[in-house]
Amino acid sequence: MTTAPTTRERVSQRVPLWRDVIVLKWVTQVALLLVVLGTMWFLASQAGDNLRARNINTEFDFLERPVDIQISEGIDTHPDTGGRALWAAMVNTLRLSISGIFFASILGVVVGLARLSDNWIVRRIATGWVEVLRNVPLLVQMVLIYSALTALPRVGLDTGPVNGWLHISNKGISMPRVFIADGFYQWAVVVLVGVLVAHFVRRHRQAVQDETGAHTSPTLWALGTVAVFGLIGLFIHPIFSWLGPVFDGVADLLGSLPNAVPQVLLAAIVVGLAAIWIHRFISSRRSALGHLSISDDDCFRIAFTAVASLAVVALIARWTGFSAWTLNSGQDLFAVMADKFDVDGAARPFDAMRPDIIQKGRFPNYGTNGLSMSLGFASVFFAVVFYTSAFIGENVRGGILAVPKGQTEAAKAVGLGRGQIIRHVVLPQALRVILPPTGNQYLNLTKNTSLAVAVGMSDMVQVGTTVFNQTGMTLPVVAIWMLFYLSCSLTISVIVNWFNVRMRLVER
Amino acid sequence: MSELSSAAAAANVSGAAPPEAPKLPPRQWAKENLFSSPFSSFLTIATSMVLLVISRALLGFIFNPIRQWNSTATNMQLFFTRAYPDEQYVRVWSSLAAIIILTSVSMAVWRAGSSIPLSRLGRKLLAGAVLLVLLALLAPFSASATIQWTLVAVCVAAIGEGIRRSAGKGEDERSVSSLTVLVVTLAGLVASLWVVPFGHHTYIPSRQPRVLAESGTVALTTKLPWTIMLLIAVAAYLVGRVIRERLPLNPTRVTLLVLWLLAPPVLIYLVLRDPSFDMGHVVSTDLPIFAAYAVGGSLLLSWLTRPSTGEAGRIVAVVILIAGFCTFLTPMRMVVRLDMLLLAVFALAAPTFAGGPRNRKRYVLGWLGVLGVMSWLITAINTPSTVSVPGGFFIGGFSITLMVAVLTLVLSFPLGIALALARTSTMPIFRLLATWFIEFVRGVPLITILIFFSIMVPLFLPRGMHLGEVAAVVIGYVLFSAAYLAENVRGGLQSVTRGQHEAAEAVGMTTAQKTLFIVLPQGLRVAIPPLVGHCIGVFKETSLLAIIGVFDVLYIGRIVIPGQTEFMGSTKENLLFVSVIYWVFAYQMSKASQRLEERTGLGER
Repeated sequence: MTTAPTTRERVSQRVPLWRDVIVLKWVTQVALLLVVLGTMWFLASQAGDNLRARNINTEFDFLERPVDIQISEGIDTHPDTGGRALWAAMVNTLRLSISGIFFASILGVVVGLARLSDNWIVRRIATGWVEVLRNVPLLVQMVLIYSALTALPRVGLDTGPVNGWLHISNKGISMPRVFIADGFYQWAVVVLVGVLVAHFVRRHRQAVQDETGAHTSPTLWALGTVAVFGLIGLFIHPIFSWLGPVFDGVADLLGSLPNAVPQVLLAAIVVGLAAIWIHRFISSRRSALGHLSISDDDCFRIAFTAVASLAVVALIARWTGFSAWTLNSGQDLFAVMADKFDVDGAARPFDAMRPDIIQKGRFPNYGTNGLSMSLGFASVFFAVVFYTSAFIGENVRGGILAVPKGQTEAAKAVGLGRGQIIRHVVLPQALRVILPPTGNQYLNLTKNTSLAVAVGMSDMVQVGTTVFNQTGMTLPVVAIWMLFYLSCSLTISVIVNWFNVRMRLVER
Repeated sequence: MSELSSAAAAANVSGAAPPEAPKLPPRQWAKENLFSSPFSSFLTIATSMVLLVISRALLGFIFNPIRQWNSTATNMQLFFTRAYPDEQYVRVWSSLAAIIILTSVSMAVWRAGSSIPLSRLGRKLLAGAVLLVLLALLAPFSASATIQWTLVAVCVAAIGEGIRRSAGKGEDERSVSSLTVLVVTLAGLVASLWVVPFGHHTYIPSRQPRVLAESGTVALTTKLPWTIMLLIAVAAYLVGRVIRERLPLNPTRVTLLVLWLLAPPVLIYLVLRDPSFDMGHVVSTDLPIFAAYAVGGSLLLSWLTRPSTGEAGRIVAVVILIAGFCTFLTPMRMVVRLDMLLLAVFALAAPTFAGGPRNRKRYVLGWLGVLGVMSWLITAINTPSTVSVPGGFFIGGFSITLMVAVLTLVLSFPLGIALALARTSTMPIFRLLATWFIEFVRGVPLITILIFFSIMVPLFLPRGMHLGEVAAVVIGYVLFSAAYLAENVRGGLQSVTRGQHEAAEAVGMTTAQKTLFIVLPQGLRVAIPPLVGHCIGVFKETSLLAIIGVFDVLYIGRIVIPGQTEFMGSTKENLLFVSVIYWVFAYQMSKASQRLEERTGLGER
């Protein structure tokens, strides 16, 4: 007795293997994957042969070996090893990127607002600024600024536009530096307490506002509280000097703990985090009625998270060095903290120094007292800030124009004031348009600082080039570059995405 | 009825130019735009002061007698073509002429240009004259020079006022084509070469003193070619108009586009590089290979494009693809391997273009054309050049900037589209590979990629194979550009609505046909504005070649010229000139893209 074939059986009978779309698709994909992997393997083996033929090895031990590199500025101008040199260069690049992003944002907002100004001449200047800076390559601007800066007067022992306070010369720019002094950590604890109090103040004011409808400006109050604490802290911060012995005690305690404690703790944290993530992920895939729909991709993610967390636990269990290291570094951390609090009661939290000029040999140069930037740093900084400000300005302009006029009019009709309209109606909507492209500009700015190699400023690329010229380690240095820039890009995009999600229109 | 008429009215309104703001008398205009509030008045005064100080400083810098502007004037040839030999310079001019002819004909065929009302033109001239007087007063000129420039400004103002008066009023206001204005301006510039004593500057390295500077007008070898170029441009435009009237529009446009695509490689590798073909080798090796592929491939493709071929055709195509990979891994002539891969691509795409005899003939002709161009180019690239240039690549300066930009764009375009399609595809491995590649490349600065390729490509190649530095750098640049291009194209592809996909499937199109004939044309159309922006970016970022040590325009302006003993320390002048060159080109491109967006209404979505 034969049963009639089901539809699926009939279909599978009718389609031969070589015409089955699914099979064809997978064969093509696997073939492509094989081709890509094969090409990479081929290239890698070629490179390996060639490198071996030239006696170049590809290991990372050059990071430990001494090099002869001079770095233009930063935390270490005469590093001992290749690794230290790259580290100093990385700090330089980060300084450049972060300060560049900060100033480019401010200038960009100014440019964007100026382009929308009622004033004809301001509008025209802003347009000119954007059109000129956007259409000249950044590198050309950078070397032009550099060549203009080299024409500055020579540095002397008592020169500068504001004598002794600000130096602008052919050695760069130097200005007074404010830095944290011995009493800072005690002061920081006072401010921390202030932040805690401010949180409660804010909650209270918000509750009052919600209840009565009166304007209680909770944010302003919270900020004011922190400021008051900071101000008072300047005078009373030694009251926290008792924290030093406490930290000492914690450090001793950590030193006496057995190795198993951090192992168990770390494993519990990892497993707990993974469990929380999976739980949240599953509940985010649940519809309002509780219906769960999980795609293959989601299954894969959940499985991957679980497996990865278990792998980390296994690693922690097997690799006892890591937990020992956590214990040791925890102990060190608290010992350092105790050290920070073990200061003279009258130490100031902040201090400032005027720039100094030292005469080393025949040529005077800036000392380490002031906040100085070399010519290379200055030219990269100004070029990058100006260039990016033109693009950010266009984003700001577009974002503000994208808010419909009706929104402002409606807000006026409801009786909101000018500041309230901007804060609660225009800005949130404009930011939604402005932020994503501006985040892209931040990424571009960070990548563009790599052009510093053209003006001799010691950034990642310049120092990397010197290192591989001296040691022949091209591939490892390139790998370090890629890793560094990729993690920078990733960090920035994570931050920008976080803002984007917060800003996103909440729809029903 | 009312609905219809209102629709017609709406269409009419959208077709007409936007209404101009009513013209105010100057005093009222100033009150409204400069002094509308106390803050605005303060801004006006403060910014004009700053502007005056800055322009005074800038003019003081430019016209300072210690500036070595003659270093720029003397090295003009170096800036544009580096050490291209003088006796072969006619090649440079003929390449330029070819580009100019193509541009002019395309402008005529695509009806470029707009009409400018005469009154607006007049007002612009008047404003220009006022600006000129201001600048002349600000610049550190001698009294006679100031008077001279003021006289020039007065002439300009008089012309502007004359044009404004003759413009007419209201409905019968006369206007002029923007192309006429362009030609008149260019003619004025070219005429100034014959009249104004700019001086004759040259740099001859083989002689002492090496710098030659004579008074009088510029050299005949400069002004004569430029005059011819202008005449060629005008003539080509007129020819283009005749073509537009006489010939069918679409085939003309397609032909022009193909010519634009062919122009860069042909001009660079055949005209400028001038390979000396070894006829014996060509006849004994290259021609037979070409003939074999041409005949065999044509027969195969005409069989494959027959709709009745069916399954067998696909299997044959796959076999050819595998054969292509196999030949690639075996030592053999490069032409043979590349031709095999090309044939495999054509064979795989054949069912998409299958149809009647006319379609099949067209497809085979396409194969023959692509094969012919490729064979010719490979032969040309592999033949030694007769142009002897000391050190480095055969051209340099601005030419290499343009060359690298154009080659990068042309090569990265197909790659970028392929990446975008892979990233939007439903097949996970394709999507994953494309996404990884794109995100990786976009996360890394261009300069690291260029350094990596200039150092590592020689290491990746099998022994015995060589690749010039410029070629290695271009490969890296192509990969970089393709990743960004793919993101732009992806934006366009995502704007194609679901209904289009579904409709294409409902008609019975295969995935390839749907992609080629439905999705890509619409998606690319939407992606035009960001793509033009990408082109400008690629053009600007060719300046990074200077860091690698390629003799591009920036390297020459920054390192080469200030290194000549006669012009020590002329960096600022030359860098300023370089930035002006870049600015003029990039600004014109961005303006053109804005006009394109306005004309086609592309940006308004």
